Amino acid sequence: MQIITEQNLRNLIDLLVKEAKLVVGPKLSGSVVLYEPLTAGTELTLDALPRRSSKELFFPVCEDILSYKREGGAMKVTDVDRSKFPETVLIGAPPCDAGSPSILDAVMSWDYKDEFYLERRRKSTIVGIACTKGDDACFCRAVGLSPDAENGSDLFLTPLKDGSYACNAVTEKGQALVAAHKNLFAEGAGAEPVPFVDQAVQKLDLVKIKKWLEEHFEDPLWERIADICVGCGACAFICPACHCFDINDEGSTDDGVRRKHWDACGFAKFTNHASGHNPRDVQNKRYRNRIMHKFKYYDDKFGKTLCTGCGRCIRACPVGIDIAEILETINAKQD
Amino acid sequence: MCQSNNIYLPNLATIEAIVDETPDVRTLRLVFQDEEVREKFAFRAGQFAEYSSFGFGESTFCIASAPTRKGYIECCFRSVGRVTESLRRLEVGDTVGVRGPYGNSFPIEQFYGKSLVFIAGGIALPPLRTVIWNCLDLRDKFKDITIVYGARSEADLVYKHELKEWQERDDVRLVKCVDPGGAGPDFDGKVGFVPTVLEETAPSSENTIALVCGPPIMIKFTLPVLERLGFSDDNIYTTLENRMKCGVGKCGRCNVGNVYVCKDGPVFTAREVKAMSQEF
Repeated sequence: MQIITEQNLRNLIDLLVKEAKLVVGPKLSGSVVLYEPLTAGTELTLDALPRRSSKELFFPVCEDILSYKREGGAMKVTDVDRSKFPETVLIGAPPCDAGSPSILDAVMSWDYKDEFYLERRRKSTIVGIACTKGDDACFCRAVGLSPDAENGSDLFLTPLKDGSYACNAVTEKGQALVAAHKNLFAEGAGAEPVPFVDQAVQKLDLVKIKKWLEEHFEDPLWERIADICVGCGACAFICPACHCFDINDEGSTDDGVRRKHWDACGFAKFTNHASGHNPRDVQNKRYRNRIMHKFKYYDDKFGKTLCTGCGRCIRACPVGIDIAEILETINAKQD
Repeated sequence: MCQSNNIYLPNLATIEAIVDETPDVRTLRLVFQDEEVREKFAFRAGQFAEYSSFGFGESTFCIASAPTRKGYIECCFRSVGRVTESLRRLEVGDTVGVRGPYGNSFPIEQFYGKSLVFIAGGIALPPLRTVIWNCLDLRDKFKDITIVYGARSEADLVYKHELKEWQERDDVRLVKCVDPGGAGPDFDGKVGFVPTVLEETAPSSENTIALVCGPPIMIKFTLPVLERLGFSDDNIYTTLENRMKCGVGKCGRCNVGNVYVCKDGPVFTAREVKAMSQEF
């Protein structure tokens, strides 16, 4: 087994920064832990789940997709130079974040390829870490992940009781990262792993849940759980898997940029037609879409669940809607 | 032709002509600026595009001209929002962006040898007009062609000059109608809602394909009429006009249940529509 000490993990970050890579990891920003660019290994903070997911590393909150400028009367459109996207190492992402790109790859690359997302994916290496910091909102086990799921990570670290980490190079990218910094890793038996925190919600039968969703597009449950939803969109914005976006221009009619930016199916106007007709005209239909998209539609299309069980939406919801509780309710249904 | 792999990059087109169809519905005829695009741009009737007004953003409309008419494309829109209002401010010679064509199309070859009934309401004629001209340009491939088209009022009827042309042709039957209260003193069509007028017109369903497009309420009342006339769900086609942004199956906006209208549609048979989650 390969082992890296905590000090060497921090040294690795220093080296990667020196190699001019963009190194992003959990970092204390004011009083909040966020995924932010690290300038030194000492900044890595592994004792809390970052408030927002690491999705924005591949799919930014807002990004230019082209610029336009009128030159001598003629409009000229210029593409964004994606070759300038930096080589990136995401380090210290727990499975609920490290696992999200492997879910989103499907929608970003079926048929039409979103090269903004895909170029960032190609240029990134994900160093995931087994999660020993879960709280009572976590439910990754319920959606088929686990605190030590390596899925999505290129290199996976397991915290050991002596403060070091067991390393598993899951992909070629992970192997390359280790090979390029061999002297930081040592062969060894390793100490015992730090135990995981118990989760309140245990594994759910996602097949059963999907079947229930299939048969209960109309159900009193939707009104009961979702009529308190205020449609603030917080659940979508902090979600590692939500990928809805809008496209808008910023600038004048002569000079500006076109941008892709996050949007949320919980917003009242999200599906509003030009005529004023709205297929999802009330909040419970919008919330139903959120659940259906995550646990049925995405699976229908891509064979994956659009949720990693990170629990952020539960922590962030201003009115206390608990998606894990909803899944448990559906899981327990007999009809 | 755009060589980039950026799927959001539009081709540039010049507004060649503008037609005001109604006080708030306008047609733009667009010609691609790049010669290679002009030559290679190919689409099928029923496909849509993202049209952009620089400084405002993109709007989704069908390609309203027929693929049999080469050298230009047309879109038709009502000014109701920021982007459409800005498109309306543009003049002949101005530049717009066009991404597409996207989505599936009407399987016109499968309609060869059959009769066709087009049923449209209000601003939903443009998505069928592309098919109508496509079929009229290949007139000998089809048997009878009937068009039932209605709007709220006479002023709301779009493509008035083409309605006149269809009315005068003897190889197509046009049934024009307006809702009760919407007819002027000289109106030469019928007065009544589209589903009612369709039932009165009673086209034969024998070896006939029905193509329907209109507001959800019109579709809702038209499908049972078609059923009574003997049309099977496989012989009824419609095109869904959901709100879209990306047009390429990513932005998560246009889905009806697990069906992505931009990728799986926008053209569906009534059988496919009935199988969808009822969220229109």
